Amino acid sequence: MSRLDRTNCEEAFRRLDDFLDHRLTPEELRIIEEHLEVCAWCTREFNFEASLLHGVKRKLRQLEAPPDIVARILSRLPRTPEAGS
Amino acid sequence: MTPDLGFPVTELSSFESLFAACAASAYGVAMRLTRSQADAEDLVQDAAFLAHRGFASFMPGTNFRAWFFKILLNSYYSSRRRERSRPVTSDLDDTPDLYIYARSGEAGFPTQGPDPAAQLLDKLGTERIVTAINRLPEEYRIVATLYFMEDLSYEEIAQALQCPVGTVRSRLHRGRKMLQKALWQIAEEDGIVRQPALQDNA
Repeated sequence: MSRLDRTNCEEAFRRLDDFLDHRLTPEELRIIEEHLEVCAWCTREFNFEASLLHGVKRKLRQLEAPPDIVARILSRLPRTPEAGS
Repeated sequence: MTPDLGFPVTELSSFESLFAACAASAYGVAMRLTRSQADAEDLVQDAAFLAHRGFASFMPGTNFRAWFFKILLNSYYSSRRRERSRPVTSDLDDTPDLYIYARSGEAGFPTQGPDPAAQLLDKLGTERIVTAINRLPEEYRIVATLYFMEDLSYEEIAQALQCPVGTVRSRLHRGRKMLQKALWQIAEEDGIVRQPALQDNA
């Protein structure tokens, strides 16, 4: 039985952001995954938050800059120095 | 993705190729900061000028994108220093956890399945999601933009903002909650979900 059993949903929830952002240590991740295996309620919440997070990222990354913006900006710069020189 | 400049990127000098690779995303961030196409281009132009001038201080092999975003954000802050010092209040401040999850259930949207938030997000569409980001108070909008649009790590965001990683973490936590409430408000305003009936005070 996991250290995070059904009575520790609150503790699992506190790690939700770090779980979604892959910032848990392997040990923390194992504990959360074990909890999710036995807690349908948390699994539903975690899945929903992951779906929302990834969906927002997906939508926002479809935005495109004007096609000529890079050339326009570069054309207004003086000649380029080299990095670290 | 490298944008089409009309000539091969391999022929560009190092600053130009590094800038070209991140200019589109810098413009996206600038759009969220300034909320105006003209101002966004001006901001990226200013940052490109400063980065170009200071390129000798950039260490080759380190993260150019984070370095450039730091300059972009500094340019943005210095262009509106007065406004930045104003205290920010927002009705998004007190958003509870799992806001959309809870409201989705009430409104009849799915809360389970392989991609439970997809239906609501598809109905909202990208433009409304951008509007929701724009409604966040500035300090949260900046972190949310770098996180959602650019997929920068906490450490890279901290580098760009010149603040501790813990600050990024806490702003991101609150920013996510605020974004959920802003998304739901927009969904209500645009009739995607029904607004709660006004209470009868009579």
